[in-house]
Amino acid sequence: MKRREVIILGLLLMGSIIAIFLPDIKPLQHIIGPTQLLKEVNKEGRYISTDDIAKMIMEKDPSLLLIDVRSPKEYKKYTLEGAINIPIDKIMDKANKDYFDQDVYTTVLFSNGSSLADQAWLRLRSYDYKGNKVMKGGLNEWYKTILNPQKPADDILTAKLEKQYLFRKGAQIYFTGATPVAGATAKKSKPAATGKPIVKHKKKEVTGGCG
Amino acid sequence: MGPLYPQELLNPEYNLLIGAIIGVGFGFLLEASGFTNTRKLAGIFYGYDATVIKVFFTAALTGLIGLFIMHNMGIIDVTLTFYPKTFWIPTLIGGAIMGLGFVIGGFCPGTSLSAAATGKVDAMAFITGVLLGIFGFIFTYQTAWEALRKSGKMGKVDIAQWIGIKEGLFIFLFTIIAILTFIVFQKWQDKWKSKMSKQDIDELGI
Repeated sequence: MKRREVIILGLLLMGSIIAIFLPDIKPLQHIIGPTQLLKEVNKEGRYISTDDIAKMIMEKDPSLLLIDVRSPKEYKKYTLEGAINIPIDKIMDKANKDYFDQDVYTTVLFSNGSSLADQAWLRLRSYDYKGNKVMKGGLNEWYKTILNPQKPADDILTAKLEKQYLFRKGAQIYFTGATPVAGATAKKSKPAATGKPIVKHKKKEVTGGCG
Repeated sequence: MGPLYPQELLNPEYNLLIGAIIGVGFGFLLEASGFTNTRKLAGIFYGYDATVIKVFFTAALTGLIGLFIMHNMGIIDVTLTFYPKTFWIPTLIGGAIMGLGFVIGGFCPGTSLSAAATGKVDAMAFITGVLLGIFGFIFTYQTAWEALRKSGKMGKVDIAQWIGIKEGLFIFLFTIIAILTFIVFQKWQDKWKSKMSKQDIDELGI
């Protein structure tokens, strides 16, 4: 055999000896196909309502992990209590993998509307990360339902709606320190985890779409 | 990171372009290493030239070991690459027909295209035969071949799992087999060549 052939065979033999010590092949990352992804996109189960979030925050639910996917600038202006900021373009960073690829916390993504958080959810789900949810309607909905709830018109006021309204009113007191109304279900404990008064955002900012 | 195309990191146009560039390189190297010479290819069957077996084994081993190590380094996800399901009966029959075609025609499908590009008429005749075979199969598939095509179904087979050994160990054993084959064929080739006159060797153009 020629010298060149011996060198090539030697290199291949060395490679195969290394291979003996390596583990068997397993998928590096699960990727969900478009068909399944489309099915899951249409399921309501991936959403969580603002009422549920408000309840979890007030109860100081330790399993709740709020992720603000907007820009750091928007995050600084206003965000939810206890939320951490991971802008959407950083969502697939290796450093953030532990937030999304786990089954301990209920990770809730939110943005101004739903679209940005939906996009983030789609990216995460396509890599088979489970347990991430999107806050339905985003901060716009948060403002509408929790920070500034409107009393339903009397002619459609059912017991269920009334209960919901009273809960929201209670939540409003908790989150904004508004004047209590009769029957509100939650009492104000403290304004926020940081103890700082919540920065009242201008309505214009939150209704500005999904950023 | 890779493979790029199945993860949609590469659009179909660039995928085709890269395929074309690799194809040109492949054809160029086939010609440059003498693979468009029918006598060189057929030499493996007669024993006077072991190049084919060396090249095929080296290519397979480089791909196998390279992909395995790169997968473990997280560079390429082998599970996302395509490999077909195994139907052992038609594969066995098809392999025999292909081997027969190889030794009679002196080309494999890839080298016949390279050889035709260099203007070899026998390669063009070979390609015509290949096309006749392909179209003949297509038009008679449902009446004559469908049952055979679907026989011996085994699904997707990972040979190491099938035998029940570690993949790394299989790679090592396969490398040893390849090296032994290399040596045996080399000895066979040397024996033949020592018997052949210089004129015969020149005539074969190898």
